[in-house]
Amino acid sequence: MSIIQVNQISKRFGSTQAVNDVSFEVQPGEIFGLLGPNGAGKTTAIRIILDIFKADSGSVSVFGGPMTSEKLNRIGYLPEERGLYQDVPVDRCLNFLALLKGMEKAKAEARITEFLKRFDLYEAHKKKVKELSKGMQQKAQLIATLVHDPDLVIIDEPFSALDPVNTQMVKDLLIEERNKGKCIVMCTHQMAQVEQLCDRLILIDHGSVVLSGSLADIRRQFASRDVLVRSETTLPQDLAGVQAIEAHNGRVKLVLSEETTPQQVLAELVQRGIMLEEFEIAVPSLDEIFIKVVSREEPDNG
Amino acid sequence: MDKFWQIVKHEYTKHVFNKRFIWTVLGMPLAIIGMIGLVLLIGLFVVDRSPIGYVDPAGVITPEAINQLEGNFFEPVLPMLAFETQEEADAQLRKDEIQAYIVLAADFEASRDARVYYTGNLGSEANGQIYQVLQSSSFSDKNIPNLTRINEGTNYLLQAADGSRQMRNDEWANFVLPFVMGIVFMIVVMTSGGYLLQAVVEEKENRTMEIMVTSVSPMQLMAGKIVGNLAVGLTQLLIWVLFLWLGLTIAGKFFPFAAHLNLSSEYMLISIALMLPAFVFVAAMMATLGATVTESREAQQVSGLFTLPVMLPYYFFSTFLTNPNGPIARFLSYFPMSAPLATTIRMAFTVVPTWEILMIFGILIVFSIFTVWLAGRAFRLGMLSYGKKISFRQIFKKEVSRV
Repeated sequence: MSIIQVNQISKRFGSTQAVNDVSFEVQPGEIFGLLGPNGAGKTTAIRIILDIFKADSGSVSVFGGPMTSEKLNRIGYLPEERGLYQDVPVDRCLNFLALLKGMEKAKAEARITEFLKRFDLYEAHKKKVKELSKGMQQKAQLIATLVHDPDLVIIDEPFSALDPVNTQMVKDLLIEERNKGKCIVMCTHQMAQVEQLCDRLILIDHGSVVLSGSLADIRRQFASRDVLVRSETTLPQDLAGVQAIEAHNGRVKLVLSEETTPQQVLAELVQRGIMLEEFEIAVPSLDEIFIKVVSREEPDNG
Repeated sequence: MDKFWQIVKHEYTKHVFNKRFIWTVLGMPLAIIGMIGLVLLIGLFVVDRSPIGYVDPAGVITPEAINQLEGNFFEPVLPMLAFETQEEADAQLRKDEIQAYIVLAADFEASRDARVYYTGNLGSEANGQIYQVLQSSSFSDKNIPNLTRINEGTNYLLQAADGSRQMRNDEWANFVLPFVMGIVFMIVVMTSGGYLLQAVVEEKENRTMEIMVTSVSPMQLMAGKIVGNLAVGLTQLLIWVLFLWLGLTIAGKFFPFAAHLNLSSEYMLISIALMLPAFVFVAAMMATLGATVTESREAQQVSGLFTLPVMLPYYFFSTFLTNPNGPIARFLSYFPMSAPLATTIRMAFTVVPTWEILMIFGILIVFSIFTVWLAGRAFRLGMLSYGKKISFRQIFKKEVSRV
């Protein structure tokens, strides 16, 4: 059974079509990426799923039906607009939020202590939230999102304000949750994180879905006919089937002609006795796909 | 329901265990104690305690009359010095040994002619004492029973023909009570309302609204905040009332009037029963306001406007006095914001029919539930527009789904 099922939702604010006929499904045990440029309609889509907004048309089903207050207890939400009560101590703030998710007091306290220690925040648990650094507040906010062991986690930009060590820790945590069968929907601009974490994704632009599928499918769909090579020796300019040779981040990018396969180029390089340190088929990064898709969309909708 | 109580508890403890709250609560009684001290100090220095002289050739002023004088801290009994001649007394007055002297005519019994000589101003204490001494001296040899009581004058008991109401002219507490209740109501509304407003705007400033609405229903949230902050206001009030009671108990030992305050428990009960829903109503209006503005400073400014309709019955006080069942008095007691004050004032001056009290109570409850709903809705809308104002018209539109 899908955890989230979004069927052709649309939402208009005044003259702006924030979400236009968007559909997708999210399964248990997967990390689902919800991507898109700023103002694409991701947050609106999430707010519709969480029943903060009502869609103009279309339907949303969460845990197999419409949203209820009981279902809210099974959802952890890290909104784009970050916020904790600034004027209260960290542990009291987290306890309050956990109790509002229907947790029992003793259980909430135990889980919060456990998380605070894991997030290296335990030392600061008596400090007021406003006394924490931005990164520490972000960690506290993540604790608030995960403390009640939600079955569905919706997180908007979970890695902003985190240093590399904490980023890795949060990534591990998300993978751990996924492996426990939890469903995670992640909104982010950081494509590197999406590549490492997401099983499937959709890309929204101007309110519409412009790309969807598993990471591997999308990559394949956008695979170019390029090869990346690193070599001590300078490559000859007259390789058969190679249209152009460009420098590419300390490596060389070979742009192949229509009928040439990477195998043929490799065979030729070996045959000509060129010492290769690296030979890689240039799979486009998600960043590149993102930019390509979004800029392609621009003229149509802009 | 459980979440509602969590919010109540959170709102309550957040304020009550805050240093600022403790200072506010203790600051008021401390300020009052300071003021009382100041008044005592002024009393000590301002009252002229020097003696009064008298020249009484006819022997009218008796030692008994002087001994009968009673004084207190602010109105001390001034010593009375007898002089043989006016010249002697005059010499003492010029030396500032006495503050004034009286000269009674030799035929005082018949002429009742007395003259008071003084320099500068004659203090009210001296003036009162002279009058008192002359009066009691005139009758002291006449052996009139209950003289003191006669001097105090007559007490009236006003009684309605149907027996529904009666009033004694010395039961001034009944007139003062609506004022006191009104002030109490205002204090609770303004302090709790202020806290509430802050709590709602804070939700916006801290950007916790989205987390909140994905955890509890806006109505639960608003109701919890209102009840929590009402409890804060009532706590503050309770502490002040305790101080006041303590003060009155102590004052009762010095000032006899404070000892005879007797309040009708029925009156108090109805007043409180009216004030609770009225408070929720005003507080929810404030919360709605808090949800529609973006900054606490702005909210504080506008919240001042709420005092106006609440205080309205005070401006029409004379109308209430002359015609407590007239159209203006009736209208103000039905209008939810002015209802608690207007009804308590009317009750002080007339018999308000039971059906009217029940109706006012009903109006207040309906309005308070409606405004809490409205506040929840405004909150939900307000969260969607951080940094933007929302209009009241929007609150009623269908943009919002679950409240």
